[in-house]
Amino acid sequence: MGQKTPQIYSVELNGAKDMKQTDKGDDKDKYRGLWSTCLELRKNHHKEHVTKEIDLDDHKLSNKELENKYHTNIVTGLSSTQAAELLARDGPNALSPPQETPEIIKFLKQMVGGFSILLWVGAILCWIAYGIQFSNDKSSSLDNVYLGTVLALVVILTGIFAYYQEAKSTNIMASFSKMIPQQALVIRDSEKKIIPAEQLVVGDIVEIKGGDQIPADIRLLFAQGCKVDNSSLTGESEPQPRSCEFTHDNPLETKNIGFYSTTCLEVSISPVGTATGMVINTGDRTIIGHIASLASGVGNEKTPIATEIEHFVHIVAGVAISIGVLFFIIAVSMKYRVLDSIIFLIGIIVANVPEGLLATVTVTLSLTAKRMAKKNCLVKNLEAVETLGSTSIICSDKTGTLTQNRMTVAHLWFDNQIFMADTSEDHFKQTFDQSSGTWASLSKIITLCNRAEFRPGQERVPIMKRVVVGDASETALLKFSEVVLGDVMEIRKRNHKVAEIPFNSTNKFQLSIHKTDDPTDKRFLMVMKGAPEKILEKCSTIMVNGQEQPLDQSTAEAFYTAYMELGGLGERVLGFCHLYLSADEFPETYSFDVDAMNFPMSNLCFVGLLSMIDPPRSTVPDAITKCRSAGIKVIMVTGDHPITAKAIAKSVGIISANSETVEDIAKRLNIAVEQVNKQDAKAVVVTGMELKDMSEDQLDEVLTSYPEIVFARTSPQQKLIIVEGCQRQDAVVAVTGDGVNDSPALKKADIGIAMGIAGSDAAKNAADMVLLDDNFASIVTGVEEGRLIFDNLKKTIAYTLTKNIAELCPFLIYIIVGVPLPLGTITILFIDLGTDIVPSIALAYEKAESDIMNRKPRHKKKDRLVNKPLAVYSYLHIGLMQSLGAFLVYFTVYAQEGFRPSTLINLRVEWEKDFVNNLEDSYGQEWTRYQRKYLEWTGYTAFFIGIMIQQIADLIIRKTRKNSIFQQGLFRNKVIWVGIASQIIIALILSYGLGSITALNFTMLRPQYWFVAVPHAFLIWVYDEVRKLFIRLYPGSWWDKNMYY
Amino acid sequence: MAALHEKKSCSQRMEEFQRYCWNPDTGQMLGRTLSRWVWISLYYVAFYVVMTGLFALCIYSLMCTLDPYTPDYQDRLKSPGVTLRPDVYGEKGLDISYNVSDSRTWTNLVHTLHDFLEGYSPAAQEDNINCTSNKVFIQESFGAPNHTKFSCKFTADMLQNCSGLQDPNFGFEEGKPCFIIKMNRIVRFLPSNTTAPRVDCAFLDQPKDIQPLQVEYYPPNGTFSLHYFPYYGNKAQPHYSNPLVAAKLLNVPGNTEVVIVCKILAEHVTYDNPHDPFEGKVEFKLKIEN
Repeated sequence: MGQKTPQIYSVELNGAKDMKQTDKGDDKDKYRGLWSTCLELRKNHHKEHVTKEIDLDDHKLSNKELENKYHTNIVTGLSSTQAAELLARDGPNALSPPQETPEIIKFLKQMVGGFSILLWVGAILCWIAYGIQFSNDKSSSLDNVYLGTVLALVVILTGIFAYYQEAKSTNIMASFSKMIPQQALVIRDSEKKIIPAEQLVVGDIVEIKGGDQIPADIRLLFAQGCKVDNSSLTGESEPQPRSCEFTHDNPLETKNIGFYSTTCLEVSISPVGTATGMVINTGDRTIIGHIASLASGVGNEKTPIATEIEHFVHIVAGVAISIGVLFFIIAVSMKYRVLDSIIFLIGIIVANVPEGLLATVTVTLSLTAKRMAKKNCLVKNLEAVETLGSTSIICSDKTGTLTQNRMTVAHLWFDNQIFMADTSEDHFKQTFDQSSGTWASLSKIITLCNRAEFRPGQERVPIMKRVVVGDASETALLKFSEVVLGDVMEIRKRNHKVAEIPFNSTNKFQLSIHKTDDPTDKRFLMVMKGAPEKILEKCSTIMVNGQEQPLDQSTAEAFYTAYMELGGLGERVLGFCHLYLSADEFPETYSFDVDAMNFPMSNLCFVGLLSMIDPPRSTVPDAITKCRSAGIKVIMVTGDHPITAKAIAKSVGIISANSETVEDIAKRLNIAVEQVNKQDAKAVVVTGMELKDMSEDQLDEVLTSYPEIVFARTSPQQKLIIVEGCQRQDAVVAVTGDGVNDSPALKKADIGIAMGIAGSDAAKNAADMVLLDDNFASIVTGVEEGRLIFDNLKKTIAYTLTKNIAELCPFLIYIIVGVPLPLGTITILFIDLGTDIVPSIALAYEKAESDIMNRKPRHKKKDRLVNKPLAVYSYLHIGLMQSLGAFLVYFTVYAQEGFRPSTLINLRVEWEKDFVNNLEDSYGQEWTRYQRKYLEWTGYTAFFIGIMIQQIADLIIRKTRKNSIFQQGLFRNKVIWVGIASQIIIALILSYGLGSITALNFTMLRPQYWFVAVPHAFLIWVYDEVRKLFIRLYPGSWWDKNMYY
Repeated sequence: MAALHEKKSCSQRMEEFQRYCWNPDTGQMLGRTLSRWVWISLYYVAFYVVMTGLFALCIYSLMCTLDPYTPDYQDRLKSPGVTLRPDVYGEKGLDISYNVSDSRTWTNLVHTLHDFLEGYSPAAQEDNINCTSNKVFIQESFGAPNHTKFSCKFTADMLQNCSGLQDPNFGFEEGKPCFIIKMNRIVRFLPSNTTAPRVDCAFLDQPKDIQPLQVEYYPPNGTFSLHYFPYYGNKAQPHYSNPLVAAKLLNVPGNTEVVIVCKILAEHVTYDNPHDPFEGKVEFKLKIEN
């Protein structure tokens, strides 16, 4: 928070002055932008919000008028009964979460989405078929009713399952957001009470300390030296002063209103250390509540994986329906009864629809979501798990995400030398040369000229994590000196402070006068820090190697060079100087008067410069490199200064070391910016001002022509424009954000990523994912997981699709050739929902085949989840081989029982006649209907086992798409073997355990039949290894194009 | 995402589809150039030829392992099924009803029996030998011509009154119909070792108000002579014909529907499989109107 206070220590470089001038105008634009966004949204969504105009005049009222308006008393506050009544009337002071789809709708959606429709059609056809049968023949068997019921059950159960999974992941989120209940200090019944902020009502008098979140929209009644961070509302990170005066007609700009969810940064210690305000709006009626509810109007984009699954469902449904209809026509033209043809149609649909797949996908996604949660990526929407993987542009915030969100000393300049300080988060060990005498003086100034203090009782906390009372810069200095010098408080005690001038924006310096810790030295030490140029003005000497030297032209130049250099790094630079007051002029008893300034303010001794920055997180540069090698463009979008933004961008690698902006080139070649060939520049820094004047096309051009882009000083609304611009490039855009103002952009993005620590609830609500540690590096983990899951889903789908053909062929052969039905519909369900479930989930555990992070993100329109080669290879290659293998088992069983293949052909009609009880087989034996039926079920079991055995091979080959299985390691993924074991065990139970239950149509199968398909299984494996070998040998070849999925 | 959901007009779609079918710029038809199509077709032809060949090879070797005379497994045929002639099926199983006085209602039934017994005429049985032993007829060697085994003759006249020779109407017109019971063939199946299997017909649930069913069996005692067993399969015994038993029901009550069950009583024949109504027995409904 508030790492930027340019009116204090401004970086007056390279036209930073212009920047400051435009800032003033910019602020208004920011608000205007915000509201125009709202208006725009309003246009799109004529909801109840339309009537809710901001109608706030409380800032214009006097305290008395306010008291009357809200029936309250500034001193005694509301009475508890009044408060209870108001709470009952207005509801709790909390943002109501965005309107949830009713649970029942969510549930029904699961019931009709995807394949469910096809299965419903199948079930209804079953019932219709039974109805027709029943009307013809009262005694017809109930098989069709059972099948229909089973299909309906399958749909309902998978629906319930998916719903449950979805609900579970939503619940994680819900529990998360309730973790930290906010408290508020309120005056009620003349007593100060701490109550949950949710119970605040209008008219309540609240007290706010520095560091508190403002618990509702309040009108300030008493505030001294109050500053607030409105960044969650406006995106502007500069602290805003707040007082009780009415300064502006616009409630958003007047100083006497504090907004809900913004943070109060500081309040002057004297006289009370708190600001008092009256609650004027609560909950959804607050400004932030309005924005949040409007943001929820931005439509949720369909996730890429949802699009992919839909595409996949279309393919499968297309295949199912076209084959179904084709064979319906064939069956009818082959003089089958229409009723039989309908039953065939059902069979074909059932065979074609991978009933278990959607459940599998859900499980797979939630497994990944869990894994990501462990790595601090909390996924709200299961489908978003994959979105991160296909992300091609990340629009990242700077503060907190890329940086540590705390000022840290980065550089020092003394003895004409720049020293680097360690800015990493944890191992805070300073390694620069500390032997110089100058450092001794400088360190003393740093320690003494500082009002920040550690909160007591934190001795055991690591220095960098301790809580400090004081502003960001002073905190940084305090921590820095604590690390370097040890106990700062002790040093301060030893150098007793006798006078002090705190910082103010007119002086731009801070000063204090101390007794020294050297008992022999009776002189006072005056220490001072402030804006470097102001400090230098007051100096006549400069300390070099511990010796004071006159400040001549060359040293001054050296100073400016260093100042420019540090400023150019985007760092906030401070100058330090001191003066030992002569003991004669200022004896021990001398009384310093800070108002009269009865001490010298010139001819001081300049000691050094120190610069601070909110340093990048140490993991970020590596993460950015990874993103870059993964083909993901990282765009920085920040409200911060272009210079700081660019510096951070450079240090984290968003702008890589050797790329230049147009301005850089101009500077290097010493030519005007206009003369530079824009093609040469790889990087660009676009400010909000420039962006405002850009047309859509110009923005598109910027987005496409520069690989490295930084947007600085942007308003929240511009963030939305940038996101839309990226999406016009067909990119999958991830947006990080924390403020309420970010919520439209978070929603608009393909995947919105909210910060778990810094993020507001509204941002978390709008986001699809929450980074629990606010760390950009976690996004990279997420990208990796997302890409892995996409690859693995491909494998799962390929695995599942393969056996569809093996399930379909029996029907086709049955219809055309007239053999007894090789595979029953119920048996198909047992494959789809029984043996195949665990293995297909197991594929989710497969490790990446190769450098998953070294390839480009998938193109969302070209790289489909289910592409032509995948479908063709699964259906026409492996699927076909599998069918042949399964048919071999089937024919073997029939042949060994007496029916040779030649006899089976065209046997169907006789075979299925209930009153033929002496059907002859190839040996002349005669079979009753039941004996044949039992043999048919044995055939089902055999075919089932045949498919199951070959699915084991299929599972193994699907572990990789390109590498040999032996490269991938056959045993590395243990879950695959659990899957194989589950397949075999389920099959064993079905065949031997339930063999006597005829309702399921399984029979005991001779053990040797389990091995008939094994050679085929090996054939599948070998064929696939050959395929992969050629893909590896001839990348880009005809083979690669047709066989790589 | 927005672009993905852009609605395309029909003509645009048609144009795209046309371009997909034939793209003049690249010479692609349906996404491939002609030569690519040829290549891919060749690949698939080759692939399928090889796969079909492999499958044929598998089936061929499967056939090679099969014994031409005896099936490998007969676990589904532990006990033979039994069938009845005439066989008219109703909603639930065999259902025979006719009117004695209306010949049209039974001529079809009689016809069925005649047709069925055609296979048992002396001419049809010419190739079979006469057996009289009444013991199981074990033949280990292929003694018959053309490397076959002998089959015993069963001619229609063995059914005497129910042979259709003496009474061409099989007793239907007098209300005492003949039913022919046939046991299914099972290779190498022996109904029993010593005593011949016997047919026993009775009412399924003996009604209280009527007498027990009286039946005249042909051949006498309703037995299948043991010399018809075992059956060696259609390759070893191409002319084998199942032995038959005819049951002439003498006291079927008129104008009421009765359920009659004919069981085969033999050591190795079971008739109590709850799932299979035709194993070792045959049930039928009978209603004779006067």
